[in-house]
Amino acid sequence: MNLEILLAIAFGGSFITYISGRISKKLRNIFAILISVGLIGFIGSLFGNTTEETICPGFWNFPLNLRINMLSWFFAITIAIIGALAIIFSLQYIKEKERTDFYYLMILLVNSSMIGIVLSGDLILFYIFWEIMSWSTFLLISYSRGPAISAGMKYIVMSIAGSVAMLVGILSLYTHYGTFIIADLSNQLSLNTPGFVLFIFILFFIAFGIKNAVWPFHTWLPPAHSEAPSPFSAILSGILVRMGMYGFLVIFFVIAGIDLFINLGSRLVHFNTILAWIGAINIIIPTFIAMLQNDSKRLLAWHGVGQGGYMVLGIAIGSSLGIAGGTFHIINHTSYIALLFLVVGAIEYCTKGIRDLNSLGGLIKKMPVTFIGALVGACGLIGIPLTNGFVSKWLIYKTLITDGYPFLAFAALLGTWGTILSLFKFIHNIFLGQLPEKYKNIKKPPFSMQLPIIILSLIIVTFGIIPGIPLKVINQIMISSGIDSLNITLWGVNSETGTINMLNIFTALLITGVLIWLIFKGSKKAKQIDQYDNYTAGTYVPKDKYHYSVEFYGPLNRMLRPYLKDFIDTFYLKLAKSVKNLGNGIRQIYAGDIGYYVTYIVFFLALLIFIQLKWTLW
Amino acid sequence: MSFAEFLNNYMYYIGAFGLIFIGLFILLTKKNLVKVIIGLSIMDTGIYLFLIAIGYVHEGTAPIFSKPGLNAEGMVDPVPQALVLTAIVIGVAILALALTLAVKLYKHYGTLNLRKIKEQKW
Amino acid sequence: MVNPVLLIVVPLGLAFLVPLFGLISKKTGKYFPILALLFNLLLTIKIFPQVLSEPIHVNIGGFTPPFCINLVAGPLGILLAFLIALVGLLVAIYALSYIKEKNEEKYHILYLLLLTGATGVVLTGDVFNLFVFFEILCISSYALVGYFGDKAGVESAIKYLIQGALGSGFILIGIGLLYGQFGTLNMADIASNIHSVEPISIFVPLVLMITGFGVEAAIFPLNAWLPDAHSSAPSSISAILSGIAIEVGLYAVVRIVFTVFGASSIMMFLLFLGVLTLLTGELSAFNQENIKRMLAYSSIGQIGLIVFALSIANMNGITGGLFQLISHTLGKALLFLAVGYMIVHTGSMNISSFEGMGKKMPYTSFFFTIGALSLVGLPPFIGFPSKFMIVKAAIFKQEILYTVLIILVLTATVVEAAYFFKVIQAIYFKGEAKKEKRNRAPFKVLIPLFIFAGLILIVGIYPKLITNILESSAAELISRTDYIKSLIP
Repeated sequence: MNLEILLAIAFGGSFITYISGRISKKLRNIFAILISVGLIGFIGSLFGNTTEETICPGFWNFPLNLRINMLSWFFAITIAIIGALAIIFSLQYIKEKERTDFYYLMILLVNSSMIGIVLSGDLILFYIFWEIMSWSTFLLISYSRGPAISAGMKYIVMSIAGSVAMLVGILSLYTHYGTFIIADLSNQLSLNTPGFVLFIFILFFIAFGIKNAVWPFHTWLPPAHSEAPSPFSAILSGILVRMGMYGFLVIFFVIAGIDLFINLGSRLVHFNTILAWIGAINIIIPTFIAMLQNDSKRLLAWHGVGQGGYMVLGIAIGSSLGIAGGTFHIINHTSYIALLFLVVGAIEYCTKGIRDLNSLGGLIKKMPVTFIGALVGACGLIGIPLTNGFVSKWLIYKTLITDGYPFLAFAALLGTWGTILSLFKFIHNIFLGQLPEKYKNIKKPPFSMQLPIIILSLIIVTFGIIPGIPLKVINQIMISSGIDSLNITLWGVNSETGTINMLNIFTALLITGVLIWLIFKGSKKAKQIDQYDNYTAGTYVPKDKYHYSVEFYGPLNRMLRPYLKDFIDTFYLKLAKSVKNLGNGIRQIYAGDIGYYVTYIVFFLALLIFIQLKWTLW
Repeated sequence: MSFAEFLNNYMYYIGAFGLIFIGLFILLTKKNLVKVIIGLSIMDTGIYLFLIAIGYVHEGTAPIFSKPGLNAEGMVDPVPQALVLTAIVIGVAILALALTLAVKLYKHYGTLNLRKIKEQKW
Repeated sequence: MVNPVLLIVVPLGLAFLVPLFGLISKKTGKYFPILALLFNLLLTIKIFPQVLSEPIHVNIGGFTPPFCINLVAGPLGILLAFLIALVGLLVAIYALSYIKEKNEEKYHILYLLLLTGATGVVLTGDVFNLFVFFEILCISSYALVGYFGDKAGVESAIKYLIQGALGSGFILIGIGLLYGQFGTLNMADIASNIHSVEPISIFVPLVLMITGFGVEAAIFPLNAWLPDAHSSAPSSISAILSGIAIEVGLYAVVRIVFTVFGASSIMMFLLFLGVLTLLTGELSAFNQENIKRMLAYSSIGQIGLIVFALSIANMNGITGGLFQLISHTLGKALLFLAVGYMIVHTGSMNISSFEGMGKKMPYTSFFFTIGALSLVGLPPFIGFPSKFMIVKAAIFKQEILYTVLIILVLTATVVEAAYFFKVIQAIYFKGEAKKEKRNRAPFKVLIPLFIFAGLILIVGIYPKLITNILESSAAELISRTDYIKSLIP
């Protein structure tokens, strides 16, 4: 009963918000916040439940199930929290734009359908909510006009292509096993031939890979995330893309089972090895493409693609450390990429729409809270110790090294190097350096924008120091899917080949920090001078920018750029163009001349009679 | 059977199909709209002839009980004649509609050449 | 027990009463279709529970079958009659404000005759009666396509007429051959004797009748009239043509192939033909600038999908095909009606002139979006259960051929999504974001749109409402022996 009420509140709430928006704006804002925060509370109260219930109407003759277990709860609470934070952020962000009721309706609808996806216990409900999520996302991406139109189109066409693959997969499963319910399908796939299992895996890989932006299918993500409104980019990049990861977890570990997943393949090559290599390519290439970007949102979007590679890599290895690392990386990535998108949103709001990295600079003096948020987020993305990114990446590195995949470990480390480079460019170009003249009078972002940034930074640091809290939840997920569990303590993970204990690291860094501060305090103060009080050999100090931010990694860019052209994107565009040409060609059958049309009719008849007389088919 | 017998038995069918094929030929190849409509009418006539020919009983009389003592076996089949009457009415309606549309088309285009009336295409 | 003959007689009678009342006042003509169709709607709802258990047979003239013309009101017939009455009623309400020409009573006469013909086709049990009602349907639609009298309309009407007349000629030859072979015109009678003759002599009538009815049903090479006719006709007539006339043509094909001939060997050919129609329709729609032409090509595609589903020829497939038929009728009628008023207010049919329509006509654009999303097959609208059913039927067959074909079908779905979403984006999100004046469609026009959208949403969320009826209709088509036995004991 609880789950139905939850979904009813979520969906009904979005419509109530839209209708109340017609009455008054304040009422709508109150409703939006109330519903999103209320959902967090509701889902939090369901912690630990493992129930499954059938909804009465049923679709055709199949029963529909809602289900909550630890995996669903894990994702649901993340969705609710990120959704609430994005809505709080958008209270001020969206105020001046058009059609704000529609915006709130769509963002709440996206949230509700994502909660519906993770709460569904059978594949039909999964598909229904997946599709609702897809078209509401499309409408919301196209909401900001201009270049968002083609971005939204790319997104929805690829999303529907993935959905039809998923439909074929779901129905093939139904044909063989007679049920749609996930719980009944668990561990059933091992009874079938490897060819069928491979077919199912490939179909679902296409479907979830398109949503998750795994390497061959990633081209929709950068335009879509950079053109969407910023709070919605946070949701998109944070959790919507990871619905694909949820799908991977369901299909690979719940339905297929860990043994089948690891053992599928011939002696030469295994399915999960190929998946791991795809994850590795997915880490390296997008991270370096991110470095070449000049638009802040596009840079973050490419990082969204890149970090997905870590998750795929972790899951593909199949060891318990790897799966824990990959799954933990999902919520870690959610927290810091949402944080970074919200930071960019705040900057956009304050500078009235500037996203170009080459024209910003020195905003640390004007927006200190935002800077700290960006710094924490960047540290998390890179994986500096004391942030949660460090723990998940450590788990992935450890499993790669101990299970004997040196090249993949090198690829993962290379990805971190690329992340460090591009994020430093991001922070330097926006916050450090010299403040340009035109931004001298910008105000700080309002509190409703700063609050989500502060909350997310706290989450990053807390989970970094005390990773045991989420890891315990992940441990339970792994136990319930039949994977070996890890030995989790409150501060880290113990395993035979080496322990990670954040308390030790935290204490060490704290002591070092205190020592440095004492040394700094005890020494003489440096003299503060104005930036322009400088010796320039007799001429005036020009007030131009000293801040060199254009062509930031010039030589590296020139070296890498020929290798980093996105040829997959070109391929897809060529495919779309050839379909268009095919359509134009086929149109010309209907040429406008009645003689042709009558010829078609008579020709059809003659063809049928001729075939019958010659070959007697019928 | 010999050629003469074949002709004798199937004369009406040959005539009917001949008319149908002439009508089809006109529909396929002629450019003038009025000729096409006439071709449609010829094809319809051929079909009516075909239908009646199906109902033909060799040396039968009209299917009316005009005097007592007539039996039904000596009469041609009345059902196709009913079908043909209905079909003739339908054909007349189509012909009338087609000619009206042809008049209106001439007013708009100034020509009845079907190869030139091609604005709706693709 | 109410006589199903009234379903045909009442619209026919009212059609001829319109000019009589027109002598008194010209304005009363437009209420007659509403009255007639309301009556039809209520009558079909009343007859429905009865026919689910056993079809009603009406012998006209009191003769016994097989010598009489009989009506067979089975579940499929009454379902389609209900659909015809519903769509006809809503489009008639729309036409109250849409048709404003001088001779508007001619529109209403022809409109009622069209619907009479359609209802007659789905209810009849006699082959020549089928032809006669089919001709009533076709001739009314030839005239209605050219109703506005403009250049495009008359050209499309004459092209439609020539192709339709050719098709009717073929049907008549086929009927003649059938009569010559079997001596009877009753469908059940022919069906029971069909296997007693050698295959070649029933093949030629079968092919002739498929070609003839296929012209109206818009199967691939025979549908060249469709893009012109549906794009040049008045929008309410486009809705009726796309929603009812082609479905009724398809019903005629299906009745001939399944019940009269029982030709299971030609299903494989129809399968490929359906996929070919689907692909040509969707690909041709991809690049259109004229919105009504795009919707017409989309109709071709959907008919191909329905033919594909019906040719799978088992219970799943036929249920899926019938469901898709209902979903297409509701969705396409909604789309054409919404587009109609958008064209009236913009004055042009180009998609690029619809930019900013989301602000000028908010309700109409909203209903258009619902129709478009439903046709692509997205939940929670009616297009989703129907497409789901069709894909399920194809995959259930577990043969590699069907899986390949369903992948082609789903590719066509992706193409369809692309062009519909392009239009939705143009309506809402293109152009500058300045304030546009509201220029809403009149309230009488919004009512039918609202009812269509409501039906699409309700049946989409709760498809169990109609699955019962669909399954009995599918059972009627599959088990032709039951059909024969119920008529000739």
